[in-house]
Amino acid sequence: MATFEPVLTRNWNVPDARSLKVYESRGGYQAARKALTTMDPDAVVNLVKDSELRGRGGAGFPCGLKWTFLPKDRKETLMCVNGDESEPATFNNRYLLERDPHMFLEGILISCFATRASTSYVYLRFEYIEATRIIEEAIAEARAAGHLGKNIYGTGFNLDVWVHRGAGAYICGEETGLIESLEGKRGWPRIKPPFPAIEGAFRKPTVVNNIETLCCVPHIVERGAAWFKSIGTPKSYGPKLYTVSGHVEKQVCVELPLGVTCRELIDDHAGGVWKGRKAKAAVPGGISMGLLSADELDTPLDFESLRKPGCLGLGTAAVTVIDDHTPIIDYLVNTSRFFAHESCGQCTPCREGTGWMSKTIHRIKNGGGRIEDLDVMLHLAENLGIIPGTTICGLADGAAWPIKNALAKFRPELEEYIRTHQTPGAGPTPLQLDVAAGRRVDLFQVGNAIAAPPPAAALHSPGRPDA
Amino acid sequence: MATILINGTEYPIPEGEKLNAIQMAKRVGVEIPYYCWHPSLSVVANCRMCEVEVGSKDPKTGEVKMMPKLVPGCQTPAKDGTVLVTDSAKVQEHQRMIMELLLLNHPLDCPVCDQAGECGLQDYSYEHGQSNHRFVEERIVNPRKDVSDLIQLNQDRCIMCTRCVRFTREITQTAELQVMRRGNHAEIATFPGVSLDDNPLAGNVVDLCPVGALLDKDFLHKQRVWFLAKHDSVCTHCSTGCNISVEENKGKIWRVKPRNNPHVNDYWICDEGRYGYKDDSAPDDLLEAMYVLKGDDHVAVAIDEAVRLVDRGLKQAVIGGRTVAGVLSPFLTVEEAYLMATYLKGMTSDAVLAVGPVPARGEDRTFSPDKSAGRSGDTSFLAPRPFTIHAEKAPNARGVRAVIEHVQGAVVEYDELLRKVEAGEVGALYVASGSPTDWIDEPTAAKVREKVAFLVVQDSRVGALAHKADVVLAGGTYAEKAGSYVNADGRIQYAGASLPPRDGSLPDLDLFAVLLDRPGGPARSSDVLAELAEAAPAFAAAKGGTLPLYGATLEASASSPRENGPPPFVDAWYAAMGAAKAR
Ligand SMILES: Cc1cc2nc3c(=O)[nH]c(=O)nc-3n(C[C@H](O)[C@H](O)[C@H](O)COP(=O)(O)O)c2cc1C
Ligand code: SF4
Ligand code: SF4
Repeated sequence: MATFEPVLTRNWNVPDARSLKVYESRGGYQAARKALTTMDPDAVVNLVKDSELRGRGGAGFPCGLKWTFLPKDRKETLMCVNGDESEPATFNNRYLLERDPHMFLEGILISCFATRASTSYVYLRFEYIEATRIIEEAIAEARAAGHLGKNIYGTGFNLDVWVHRGAGAYICGEETGLIESLEGKRGWPRIKPPFPAIEGAFRKPTVVNNIETLCCVPHIVERGAAWFKSIGTPKSYGPKLYTVSGHVEKQVCVELPLGVTCRELIDDHAGGVWKGRKAKAAVPGGISMGLLSADELDTPLDFESLRKPGCLGLGTAAVTVIDDHTPIIDYLVNTSRFFAHESCGQCTPCREGTGWMSKTIHRIKNGGGRIEDLDVMLHLAENLGIIPGTTICGLADGAAWPIKNALAKFRPELEEYIRTHQTPGAGPTPLQLDVAAGRRVDLFQVGNAIAAPPPAAALHSPGRPDA
Repeated sequence: MATILINGTEYPIPEGEKLNAIQMAKRVGVEIPYYCWHPSLSVVANCRMCEVEVGSKDPKTGEVKMMPKLVPGCQTPAKDGTVLVTDSAKVQEHQRMIMELLLLNHPLDCPVCDQAGECGLQDYSYEHGQSNHRFVEERIVNPRKDVSDLIQLNQDRCIMCTRCVRFTREITQTAELQVMRRGNHAEIATFPGVSLDDNPLAGNVVDLCPVGALLDKDFLHKQRVWFLAKHDSVCTHCSTGCNISVEENKGKIWRVKPRNNPHVNDYWICDEGRYGYKDDSAPDDLLEAMYVLKGDDHVAVAIDEAVRLVDRGLKQAVIGGRTVAGVLSPFLTVEEAYLMATYLKGMTSDAVLAVGPVPARGEDRTFSPDKSAGRSGDTSFLAPRPFTIHAEKAPNARGVRAVIEHVQGAVVEYDELLRKVEAGEVGALYVASGSPTDWIDEPTAAKVREKVAFLVVQDSRVGALAHKADVVLAGGTYAEKAGSYVNADGRIQYAGASLPPRDGSLPDLDLFAVLLDRPGGPARSSDVLAELAEAAPAFAAAKGGTLPLYGATLEASASSPRENGPPPFVDAWYAAMGAAKAR
């Protein structure tokens, strides 16, 4: 571990690192020059493929492989950079943008050269106002210095980079949602196939990559695939930016080899759990990925190991720590509210399912819970998402995972909560229960729900008991 | 030969068509339920009702490999070796879940909903759903709103299939509708300051909506759909000849819906045709009986007397050596035109046959869906078909002309006939109109009356000329008569009668048959058409008198081959459902 040399963050503490002058003085744009002037685009693609760089945006798809899906006979390629970073507690892309914009631009330049894209769109999260300004300044600087624009380094390669700001929707981080939004439409993810590499933005072959993924590319070009593969764990190579937040002493964004354990992150880098408390659980990589319980904190945070404790994956490597004073129901309230709010509303299971789960969890929180609610939610969560095949995009999986994990790991606590938190009037009314069960509703009996008048006495009803 | 395995049975895949799993299964009689998919719109796969188990069969070993997850049938192409399982416990469990989810926030207001009886939610609930659910939270309640003067949106009933939105984007390309908000608060809405009022095809969104969310205010709360009897007809409001279903209860038409014809109107009709039924059956303006001019006034007479007077008047003119002329309006069916022409020519071969004026308004307006623009989903299954509203506002100008050409050799234009009338060359004139609007104005009518000694007008409405005619024959409206029309593309299509003849009138075909003294009881349009097809080479396509479902082209050309090709998939929401089907 002592030999690990950070590369993504190497300029972060250098004064004025954002400026092109400082960046160039520290070896900036040398990798781009090397790639553009001495390498063939396909050689760059092969290099990235050999490095087994996996996407940092959440899905962990091999980056080089994705680039080879582009049709061979394409006329035009578009590069969309996913900077919509909206996963709660994730801020590594933001640090990269704000502290070292030129490294990011160099990554775009090499990747566009490799994929033969001469237009690149950087889709930035709406709330990143400062980052937008910084990246726009950097683009202007790089263009003036000939790193972008026409005939870069005399190679005849042209590249334009445009910044596009989102409008505040999590779903626009999903790659096809991003493309729709970029086209000026509502950010509704598309069905696949066709994948963006075949038909993406404006119906052209399109590559979508995360900011951090692209930031790794210059270093791979500079130091080679073997160097990259020497870092990390098998199948998860390279350096990774981890963010730690929540109930820790120090909220940080650190660069470490892939495969660091959750406990190391908390104890060695974030100053431990705050106020001397113990961790009850930790979210391993953005709330879509589920939950690690306290005894699972030694799980390495890489693309493979998180399956074992039942999490969805590494996600954005954004660790959120939950201390032992926090009820798990509060975690569920927050996650379910987020996904119900952010579901785009396209697929029936996600639209209705996230709303339903959020309502049920809020009811439990307010003291109206029933034990069977947990089973209903679990059944629902198990049938939600692209893994069972019931939705278009992965948001629904992300909505299901916190519930699945919380119920698998903290069910006794949740049952206890339901039993001890019962507030009169917070639960479902008898009428709601009857309607749901398909029972015939006696409006007279359910007087508290509907004040029904007594049945009218018919004139000719000799058999009527009280006649 | 390419084959597909559906629920364990192997079926050949028809060649030359790109079908998805829903269409392929339907061809072999296996129903896959769906909401958001529509054969003329792009595939978005968002309702998730059509999910099935999909796999593939190894061509060499015959081994079947299934995918672990469910896949929407709408986005699954029917390819050689595809395996579909549509009835497994897993699929049925999934369908139950989707039904439960769709109904979470759906109000239980079927008793007051117009869609009841032809509703996708009702039908699939019954077939694939369950009678209880686990949802005990509060439902979302959304207010009703209008998306145009004629269309109401009941947002709580909407299932977000986005068919309506895709229609305005992909077919009319006017994009008035959109989705607002996210998640289960998503709503269909028009853009600010926009409504569907100016969209000439707006009414189709009501038909597209699989539930009772978009409703026609013209029909709102007027009838329960199971009381309606549906009659296959053809729209007479322009020369496109859209296939329609005229829906009536106890002799009153309540609404007109499109019928699918891939060669003519696909699944659509324009609003003019949709709401046109009101003008056609406005009661105060219809002819209630046959009239004869006695002195200054018209007196109602029995049908046979009126017909006798017509025959006598015309024959006297012939005997007196005066020219007899007939005006055959483009609203007559082919069969009516043929009988009228034979009648007049049979009286004297000098009779002049003229085609009536063909009304025109505005310009042809074509909506040509384009696979590349404005689409929001997968378009690879689409065969975009343009839809045209013609400026020519009559259904059968081509058919009537072809009949006159056959009987007389050449067509006399209406203007030419008017000149002959003005020159005093016409002694007796027989005008058969059937037009839903007036096409002879007062001054022309007065002139005609002055010059023509014996004037017969046959019409369904009271027009300027009828006030001056010697004999007025009450014919049928388009809904009261059966026969065929030739549309702008030369396609001959059969329209059945939707209503019985009104009291005091007789369908035009019967009037001509009586005049001709045709043997064999009431005239059948198919017999007449068969005779015409036998006699006139131009109508050879109608041989035998019965036409195929989608009609037949009179002259085969590259753009309209004589063969109709395989029957394309018909969207389920168009098939008559429930009780209405049984009547
Ligand atoms: C609901 C949802 C939200 C997503 N949000 C982001 C995001 O904010 N940023 C991001 O880079 N990727 C996000 N992704 C992942 C992208 O779909 C895609 O996998 C990624 O941009 C590919 O880039 P990579 O291969 O470089 O990781 C999201 C995915 C889903 C399903
Ligand atoms: S899964 Fe949810 S967020 Fe994703 S497309 Fe479907 S409705 Fe939208
Ligand atoms: S209004 Fe009807 S057609 Fe439009 S999205 Fe809703 S259910 Fe579908």
